[in-house]
Amino acid sequence: MLAKLHDISVNFGEVRALDNVSLDISPNQIHAIVGENGAGKSTLMSVLFGLNVNYSGQIFIDEINKNWSTPSDAIKAGIGMVHQHFMLIESMTVLENIILGSEPNKYLGFLDFQFAKKKLYDLLRTYNFSINLNQTVGELSVGQRQMVEILKTLYRSAALIILDEPTAVLTPAERADLFNSLQDFKNAGKSIILITHKIDEVMANADHVSVMRSGQLISSLPINSTSRGQISDEIVGASKTKSISRKKIKPGPVKLHLSDLDVLGMPQIGNAFNLEVKANEIVGIAGVAGNGQAELVEAIIGLRSSKSGLIEICGTNVTEVDISTRRDAGLCYIPEDRQKRGLALDAQLSENASISLLASKAFAKGPFLRKTKIKNFTEDLIKKFDVKASSSSALANSLSGGNKQKLIIARELSLESDVIIAENPTWGVDLGAINQIHYELLSMRENGHAILLVSSDLDEILTLSDRVLVMFESELSHSFRTEKVTREELGELMLMKASEKKKRKRQISHEAI
Amino acid sequence: MLADLFDPAFADSVARIAVPILLASLGGAICHRAGVFNIALEGFILMGAFAAVLGTFMLGHVFWGVLSAILAGVFMGLLFAEFHLRRPGDAIVVSIALNLIGLGLTTYLLRAVLGVSGVFQDEALGKIIEINIPLIESLPVLGSFLSGQSILFYISIFLVFILHYIYSRHKLGFWMRAAGENPLALKTVGIKPAPVKLLALVLCGICCGLAGAQLSISNVSLFVENMSAGRGWIAVVIVLVTNGRPIPLLGLVLLFGFVDSLSLRLQGFGFPQQFTEMMPYIASLIALIFVSIRRIKDLVGMRGYDNG
Repeated sequence: MLAKLHDISVNFGEVRALDNVSLDISPNQIHAIVGENGAGKSTLMSVLFGLNVNYSGQIFIDEINKNWSTPSDAIKAGIGMVHQHFMLIESMTVLENIILGSEPNKYLGFLDFQFAKKKLYDLLRTYNFSINLNQTVGELSVGQRQMVEILKTLYRSAALIILDEPTAVLTPAERADLFNSLQDFKNAGKSIILITHKIDEVMANADHVSVMRSGQLISSLPINSTSRGQISDEIVGASKTKSISRKKIKPGPVKLHLSDLDVLGMPQIGNAFNLEVKANEIVGIAGVAGNGQAELVEAIIGLRSSKSGLIEICGTNVTEVDISTRRDAGLCYIPEDRQKRGLALDAQLSENASISLLASKAFAKGPFLRKTKIKNFTEDLIKKFDVKASSSSALANSLSGGNKQKLIIARELSLESDVIIAENPTWGVDLGAINQIHYELLSMRENGHAILLVSSDLDEILTLSDRVLVMFESELSHSFRTEKVTREELGELMLMKASEKKKRKRQISHEAI
Repeated sequence: MLADLFDPAFADSVARIAVPILLASLGGAICHRAGVFNIALEGFILMGAFAAVLGTFMLGHVFWGVLSAILAGVFMGLLFAEFHLRRPGDAIVVSIALNLIGLGLTTYLLRAVLGVSGVFQDEALGKIIEINIPLIESLPVLGSFLSGQSILFYISIFLVFILHYIYSRHKLGFWMRAAGENPLALKTVGIKPAPVKLLALVLCGICCGLAGAQLSISNVSLFVENMSAGRGWIAVVIVLVTNGRPIPLLGLVLLFGFVDSLSLRLQGFGFPQQFTEMMPYIASLIALIFVSIRRIKDLVGMRGYDNG
């Protein structure tokens, strides 16, 4: 199948998720689409598969302009998609899941299971799959569930199969099987779109590779006219410039100390965490989202429990205490998800700004709030951080994304806490606000605060941090001084050019699962 | 003593008590399996019961009564769909509203249309046809359970098995199960979940309408304000306990019918009424305890501030 996407754009609110992306998918090819999380890969595929119909631009299948209104239109045109999160009904059998939505009719809508079984046995034989059609999906392993998803597309005679991050959940042996199957599909004349952020897999298996970043298509080249280095440069983006400089300061005493911290519910099995952040220092943790950064941050701020180990803030052991005690000990937190964790969207700016200070004498007289003081405080913050808002009594939800983030940062930094945890502080924020946020964080550093910066944006890490660590599969690398490491080295650590040690590690973790 | 307790009249009363609850539970089960949290069964039944009496009285035959009951149930189902599927109303809020509407509207119409308050009774009201099965009717005890019941008794038992069959063999059954368990999965294979849920609500309306008809023009021939008297809630409990699976549901309904009849019968033996009337509710409580034990979740790591 020849699929053409022409000038596709998608807006989510004020965020431009896809920006005039044009892409050609040729038959008999494995076409890899790579990019960071949030680069727009999945959004582009949901447009091609008819799940997202709020786009501008055109889709051509075999030179015919198509206009999907539901996924069934795309399915009829021969497109199949294996979603990252499997779309299966766990209480149904393999057979029932495969035929759901394309049921073979016997009479009056009753199902012809024999027909479906015969067709599936043929497919199983052709592609050398082995699976028990009568087993309940809830009992299957992750790899088998993926096979069910692939069989769903084959049963519908898909000529173009989209696989969204198919290897993220597989064991090495299952990965090898998957890529063998993909080669078989390719040889049978199907087109394959492989969405991934693992460059190794792309280099080894793809015929063509397209790179996406921030909603734009950066490049689309045959695999033999590009290189691993070029792809990883294009993924992380090499040419953002910022007029922000980090002055040389000698770091002070240790403010945040993690020793042998074993966090509950990490996404992968890694080692315990050891980390120090000193005064006048920014320590960056780089990594692709989903490698355990969010869980580590939750453990530090007190949203998540730890199995063992210590968290110390300014020398006080806070491992067992609740969030407000931790904040009193000198901790503040700039969350990644400002809608959910950072702000009460239906409350006023002044309420949001003062929320962690309501118990203080300055803002409360007995049980009553000092409204004027709160208002003045909020107006000062708004002025100082240049938050664009109509008034201090406007609702938080009325602010734009960048201004919401500025308000949170203004609130947290105004606490003058010794330890600042900043989690993707500039995610989804426009360039002007990014510069300002970076400036504020650096001036906090100069004023003796200790900052832990968790970010999937390498530029941000390299601009701000004194030291960098990389988080991969719930494990922190040793720390590098920022001057002594290159973007490429970090990029490869983040995207994991699989070294022997890591391979072994992964095997162990899968056995444990 | 036991022979006095479990006589043919007792067997007959188990069936009569069970039928409305069975029909309402089937309706509830259809919604539950399709992912619609419908706890407005009480209001659905009440509307059905009133429409059955009104239709029979106005049009002169119980057939029209049954048809009116079905239409009233479907109307409630469509109301639910309008507020919960087409508009983003919360299912619990919509359910509470429809339960109140069911009670309020029937009480009002009783006065406005039939001109009485409290109870409406008329000689013109008949009863749904009852079927005697030769041979079976002469079986001891069981005969009066299986024979001589209203046609709705046989229809509802039939519905249990047809529903079971549809869930495993028919594409609508597949879609309804998928809509309840993983609507996004259904959407990605090209079936929109909302129409499937609408269908479930309409079928639920039909079942609950019939349940109401059984109450008002079969078990008795009259309408009393709030005559559903908690049966819709018992049905909700039964649906949740059995997870909407038709065959276990039938078993549990019969158990409730049995306990309820027993409580009536024990009154006759001089047990205090306050005690015997508690029995069906104690049985529901025990059933609920079993459900909650099954649903205790194991939260690992998170301290409960946030489940994202």
